[in-house]
Amino acid sequence: MPEKKRYAMVIDIRRCIACHACTVACKAEMAVPLEVNATWLKIVEKGAFPDTRRFWLPRLCNNCTDAICARNCPTKATYKREDGIVMVDQHRCIGCKYCIASCPYDVRYINPLKNIVQKCYFCSHRVDAGLVPACVETCPTRAMVFGDKNDSKSEVAQLLASNATVVIKKEMQTDPQVFYISADETAMSNIEEEINYYTEGSLAKFRF
Amino acid sequence: MEHGDVNVVYSVEHQLPLVMYIGQYFFFTGLSAGSFVISVIATLLGRKEFKPVGKITALLAPALLIIAPLNLILDLEQPLRFWHLFLYYNWASPITYGSFLLTAYPVMGIIYAVMVYTNRQKAAKILGVMGIPLAVSVHGYTGFILALAKARALWNTAAMPTIFLVSAMVSGIGLVVIVAAVRWKWFDKEADEEQKATDKKVILQLSQIMAYVIMLDLFLILSDILVLLTAHADAFEAGMLLLTGNFAFLFVGVEIILGSFIPMLLVLGPKSRKSLTAAVIASILVNIGVYAMRFVMVIGGQTTPLS
Ligand code: SF4
Ligand code: SF4
Repeated sequence: MPEKKRYAMVIDIRRCIACHACTVACKAEMAVPLEVNATWLKIVEKGAFPDTRRFWLPRLCNNCTDAICARNCPTKATYKREDGIVMVDQHRCIGCKYCIASCPYDVRYINPLKNIVQKCYFCSHRVDAGLVPACVETCPTRAMVFGDKNDSKSEVAQLLASNATVVIKKEMQTDPQVFYISADETAMSNIEEEINYYTEGSLAKFRF
Repeated sequence: MEHGDVNVVYSVEHQLPLVMYIGQYFFFTGLSAGSFVISVIATLLGRKEFKPVGKITALLAPALLIIAPLNLILDLEQPLRFWHLFLYYNWASPITYGSFLLTAYPVMGIIYAVMVYTNRQKAAKILGVMGIPLAVSVHGYTGFILALAKARALWNTAAMPTIFLVSAMVSGIGLVVIVAAVRWKWFDKEADEEQKATDKKVILQLSQIMAYVIMLDLFLILSDILVLLTAHADAFEAGMLLLTGNFAFLFVGVEIILGSFIPMLLVLGPKSRKSLTAAVIASILVNIGVYAMRFVMVIGGQTTPLS
């Protein structure tokens, strides 16, 4: 019997040219409102002029195997599909936002138009139709690869088998399913922005 | 950790999920649990001079616990769907056991209050003893809500539920002192001189108990901060956020100095310990301090960026 499907994504940052096409594709496909993002590109700049370089990291929900968001959701609106995609049932979500507070990756958001929580679902509707997620489809350099990692013939499985890959915040024990090749450590960490975050501009985000 | 020159050129940060409604809810459940425990202790001791305190607190506990969950419902993005909590429960989530506790506890509290007011001592005692674990869990679970959201270093500590419980006791006793003192001053006309004197003594004793609970609270906070400062990078950031960062004023200034040390001095100081006014001022300060603590924990815990 073939093993169960387990969808995963590999992002090869050596190929990524930081064009933001994935962000745009995601916005269009999933009708993501202004102010929030299900996919985006984090860009950091290292070093002092003139010895500087930029590093980037496409960010999206990791559709974790041990998704803390699903464990903590009081209504099971957030649940895991058989194939590993973590979903949010938009008719069941009460908007308690506990999942947002629990997710270590800041990839969930409140949809300001629908007043429920959403995130990236690996475009489950496209996957069910036999397509790949919109970001993967759009990526001009084929830096993003999506597929069933339990199928050893899939490109994802082969990339995982032949490359050094990392995930973000492995220590969180969520078993993320978005793997990066050649990701920069500072781009993956949250150290830099640290404490001033609260005063600088985020008051707008703070609602009483 | 030294990263050299690093600037984040672009990234997305989403809105803080939990806002002060949640902190306020923690504050009210804390008050409720605190007053319930005091009420039961007063009932169990059964001494005549504790009667008034026992009665006031028996009423305060369920009243506060009816206000508290309103904050939770208001905080929902879909308030009209709150019943999903009961229909589609998930036992892995602390919010689920919270929603059942929050239903059971006020019911229990109301029955208990009826028993206390109708002077059915035996029933009140039994219900009270049964109610204490409920009161403790109703407030203890709020600590778990924070502690089990593992993304946030400030919350994800084993000390969190205990800190919440102990600070609940502090603010609960504070509230009882305030209410009892108001009653003593303005609403207790029939009592004779002697009765008045014992009532005052009880209130003062209560405020002194509060000071000892504050000491326990301070010890817990100290151990939490010490461990945060020596743990991993995120935990260190969280600890520094409270000590020197944007929440230092609220944490050190309001929570520790104004809300803990000054009240402690007021109710234990050789002169002021005999004054009811001092006890009331201390209790007000204590409650300001605990409210600030809820703010620092809930909001501060979310301000260290995740990515
Ligand atoms: S990245 Fe966050 S939202 Fe996505 S599955 Fe993991 S814990 Fe849940
Ligand atoms: S906001 Fe919605 S999806 Fe998130 S934990 Fe609450 S009910 Fe679940």
